[in-house]
Amino acid sequence: MNTSPTVVVGYDGSADSTVALRWAAGLTKAIGGRLRIVHAVGLLEHAGLLGDHVTADRETALGVAAGAGGDPEQIEWSVVDGDPCSALLRMTTPPQSADLLVVGSRGSGAHEGSLLGSTSLELAERSVIPVTIVPQAREAEALSTPV
Amino acid sequence: MKLIVAGPTGTVEHDGGKFHPEQQARIFSVMNGIRALGLEDEVIYPQTPKAGLTDLTRVHSLDYLTELEAFCVKGGGDIDPDTFARSDSWNAARRAAGAGLAAIAALEEEGEGVAFVPVRPPGHHAERDRAMGFCLLNNVAVAAASLTARGQKVLIVDWDVHHGNGTQSIFWDDPDVLYVSTHQFPLFPGTGRAKEIGGPAAPGLTVNIPLPAGATGDVVRAAIDHVARATIEEFSPDWVLVSCGFDAHQADPLGDLALSSGDFAELARMVNEFTPRPGRLALFLEGGYNQIALEMSVVDTLGALLGLHTQPAAPTYGGPGMNEIRLAVADRHRAMDTLQTTMSSVEGEG
Repeated sequence: MNTSPTVVVGYDGSADSTVALRWAAGLTKAIGGRLRIVHAVGLLEHAGLLGDHVTADRETALGVAAGAGGDPEQIEWSVVDGDPCSALLRMTTPPQSADLLVVGSRGSGAHEGSLLGSTSLELAERSVIPVTIVPQAREAEALSTPV
Repeated sequence: MKLIVAGPTGTVEHDGGKFHPEQQARIFSVMNGIRALGLEDEVIYPQTPKAGLTDLTRVHSLDYLTELEAFCVKGGGDIDPDTFARSDSWNAARRAAGAGLAAIAALEEEGEGVAFVPVRPPGHHAERDRAMGFCLLNNVAVAAASLTARGQKVLIVDWDVHHGNGTQSIFWDDPDVLYVSTHQFPLFPGTGRAKEIGGPAAPGLTVNIPLPAGATGDVVRAAIDHVARATIEEFSPDWVLVSCGFDAHQADPLGDLALSSGDFAELARMVNEFTPRPGRLALFLEGGYNQIALEMSVVDTLGALLGLHTQPAAPTYGGPGMNEIRLAVADRHRAMDTLQTTMSSVEGEG
């Protein structure tokens, strides 16, 4: 039985999700865990109305994770149907049963203090497992990697 | 048979821009279809006031409604990569939900006919406290809950290409609502497996029939016949509401099923058989993003229900999915056994 912790990180190709991915890859390296990178596919992306992100994002994400020291053998890329919040919450229950969710802090449509438009706040509200919200890009770049 | 059209709503407000597929032009296509039926003055257009909090809080949390209104008052924004709200979207969503209530009231007043609810934003992805999948308020759920509050039993048939996760979750444990969905799987929103059958208070009253890309109309009809019909007949609904998405059409850009507009006519006839008497069927527009297919589907669906000679498109046959139907039956049986075992053990512990 594999008992190494599983870290799930949401990735959509944005700068903030890249920072979150880099942080999550560093963490999994430090704790000897497994990293699952989740890319949620919504209605518009399925229809090709947002461009073909999946192929490009996969290559970029795996490269970022490897660059942060992640063990390629312990890194998995997953494409999940749904909005980002639902797709990530699904990773917290069996059979996925992640131990930690990691997301960037972006919320382009959000208003301060509102769950609407903010995946990170919504996850923090709804998740039954710990959630790490990695600070916005310019701040997080300075922090770089976890301890 | 009389046609009641509760709408249109969303023809001006709730504008996501011309590149968003859930746009005002959809309603114009739908209304073109209604005009093409040639019924003219015979169509009844009831007043469609906005839904009030009493009706909305039967299916949505007050916190969510308050937050959605505040979000819109501040100008709105993108809720997720698919879903937007604008400053006028709160009112647009309340008008859409209110139109469903008006449709029910008009059917009760007329005592006959069929109601169609051409509204946007659509509703079946909206959960109790979440907007998603273009949906802000769950229009069909608001209407169904208004009926169950009066002791009525409601069948909701959802033939949109996407699973109605919101409707399912709202009525998951409600013994007065039977939810039946045919949908493409895998596809957004990622829910709708056959093993999702409802909660302890409503075991088996969620019926999901996931179908593969390319499934044709005969497969969808067989799915309802083989997986859902017995449950529907045993449930014996007082009302039948349809989450009437037309994005299972072969020309739709958001799905990969292969139905023709004529298939929706066949499905409409089939669903109409489940009504206990005339005047108990209402169809709520959900998806449908190819304007020509949308107009044709409205003509063929309503034409079939009204017994008009509209020469519907030929139904489709021969697509994949029959094996998935067999698997769905088996998955439901297994899930029912598991749920009953769990309930028995809980009762035993009690």
